[in-house]
Amino acid sequence: MDFFVNWLAAIPAYAAPLLLACLGLITNERAGVLNLGAEGMMACGALAGAIISLTTGWPSLGILAAVIAGAMIALVFAVLTVSLRSNQVVSGLIIVALGAGLTGFLGREYVNKTLPGFYDLDWGGIANAWIIGPILFKQNALTYITLLLGGVAWYVLFRTTAGLKLRAVGEDPATADASGVSVALTRSIAVMIGGAFCGAAGGYLALASSYIWVEGMIAGRGWIAIGLVIFARWNPKYAIVGALLFGAIEALIPRVQATGADVPIYLMMMMPYIATLGVLVLTSLTRNRRSDEPGSLGLPYTRQDRH
Amino acid sequence: MRKRLVLMPRQNIPFWLNAVSLATGVGLGLTFATALLLTTGVDIEGIINEFILYSFTSQRGLAQTVTKATAFLLVGLGSAVALKLRFWNIGIDGQVWLGAIAAAGVAIHDIGDPSSRLVIMAIAAIIAGSIWVGIPVVLKLKLGVNEVISTLMLSYVAFLIAQHLLYGDWRDPSTSFPVSSGFDVETERLKRIGFGHAHSGIWLALAAALIVSYLMLVNRFGFYLTAIGINPKGAKAAGLPVSIVIVVAVLIAGGLCGFAGFTIVAGQEYRLTQYVVHGYTFSAILIAFLARFNPIAVIPISFIVAGLFTAGDTLKTFYQLPLSLILVVEALILGTVVAVEFLARYKVSLVLKRTHQPSAPVDHNLSGKSNQVVP
Repeated sequence: MDFFVNWLAAIPAYAAPLLLACLGLITNERAGVLNLGAEGMMACGALAGAIISLTTGWPSLGILAAVIAGAMIALVFAVLTVSLRSNQVVSGLIIVALGAGLTGFLGREYVNKTLPGFYDLDWGGIANAWIIGPILFKQNALTYITLLLGGVAWYVLFRTTAGLKLRAVGEDPATADASGVSVALTRSIAVMIGGAFCGAAGGYLALASSYIWVEGMIAGRGWIAIGLVIFARWNPKYAIVGALLFGAIEALIPRVQATGADVPIYLMMMMPYIATLGVLVLTSLTRNRRSDEPGSLGLPYTRQDRH
Repeated sequence: MRKRLVLMPRQNIPFWLNAVSLATGVGLGLTFATALLLTTGVDIEGIINEFILYSFTSQRGLAQTVTKATAFLLVGLGSAVALKLRFWNIGIDGQVWLGAIAAAGVAIHDIGDPSSRLVIMAIAAIIAGSIWVGIPVVLKLKLGVNEVISTLMLSYVAFLIAQHLLYGDWRDPSTSFPVSSGFDVETERLKRIGFGHAHSGIWLALAAALIVSYLMLVNRFGFYLTAIGINPKGAKAAGLPVSIVIVVAVLIAGGLCGFAGFTIVAGQEYRLTQYVVHGYTFSAILIAFLARFNPIAVIPISFIVAGLFTAGDTLKTFYQLPLSLILVVEALILGTVVAVEFLARYKVSLVLKRTHQPSAPVDHNLSGKSNQVVP
């Protein structure tokens, strides 16, 4: 029972960074820009967060730095994909390489240093209430904020004019253009918001999960988030469910290990990756293929480029 | 009067414009990379020494470059074949890993007759590499599963398989490191060719380049690849065997990557370690893009990229700079190349802004748009 409660209580903290990245990617892709650079943007966020938190001693400044770093590298991505109409897949891979390379190079002096970070909030005795207590009240502040952002993202995308314009640009940019929405501006903003979210996700991993920075610490979570977006049908509501599911899988690994059970640890570590693949297969089996995918996802838009 | 930028896609990009764009992109990327290196404390003289003189002209450096070029050539070819089809194989590292694992498995478990051991190792590696890319290609064709994510996920899985084996059954009991036992000197190692550590794998890789060049440039298979890459639906409507060509091409690509894994363990490391595979995916994509998916051009370009990594090793030793710097250099080069391509693909002009939308006839672009594939 203890094992079970521990596990459930740990899930939100594993789900939060995935959800953050996923929300950013949904914003991105709803505007028609396929962002494969998430892994690189998260890497930049993690390092920026680690450096600022370590030098100032303020984790909240660290998260802010992570958000800014993510948005800045996303600006490079926006210039490539939106202004210069480069292939979005290649541009995304360039961002991944740039993020991984730059952080490995700039972060040499910050490896394995304990960082000031976000710890569980103190809600008093209620945190020990039966089962529900630890799940709801033994979490850090960022986790609550992340969940809140999930709701906000859904509301903005599906219940506001700005969200409608953004989705219109992703669905049919020519029509959006004709009705006076600036495709390039909308897409650039969406890409930068996406980068900010991915940066925050990286910052979360450094400042609220591991409390240290090491090279390669994102470990494919950016790519898992890209898979989750498809699973979530480009909708923040389902992204929350998906992130919790993957959080549950990830949270299970160290807990099973800690019980001392004789399980092959490296095979267990494959679970998130295989689960991502499995979820993609299931998604394509169970629904009308690509029915929710933004209509012009991955296609650069030029006004003169009629087709 | 206000002016407005107008982008007009070019219908036909002249060859010289493509060449100028590629050269400008590479030049700009190298300039950025040089600027970056200067900020790290390497001076111009050092950059010329390490990146050009040592890697390509010194006896020792050139031997290192040739050794590294073996695997880069193979993965570059694999990447060119798959990308020609617009099949985004991002799991090249995974296929190289699986090839290395399969080859090591044959060597460690002494499978087959010693006289043909190397051949069995190579075949096992090729099969393993193609299986590892075969899963994503089948999932894509049957279910529409995005190959970008599936190949990449399998890459992580492949690395963890290697970890599992190296910390488990395959661990060499005589050391405390997670490495397998060494391969047999006589029967399980590729022969050196008398030039530093360079081994006979380079001949095999060049032979592979010739075969792939024949397939892509002479045989009708190459024509199919081009047609499907440009417009899969059109190719299908024209009666080309689209699915079969895609599967065969992608399996060849994976096989080449698996074979690269074989040359690494059998030619360089002589055992399986945690570090046999690193950074092949992005390098392969860079090589394929710079070569414009032409297998002949892959040969010199993979050689140059290998030189970049030789320089990276030297910078690591003498300037304590991490290898990730080379990844940044690669990203800068590819980034500027795709950025500059914009000027080749579009005709940019300033037009006086009018109050009404211009009703002039708009250029119909028939070729450019359909190249974009939504993964």
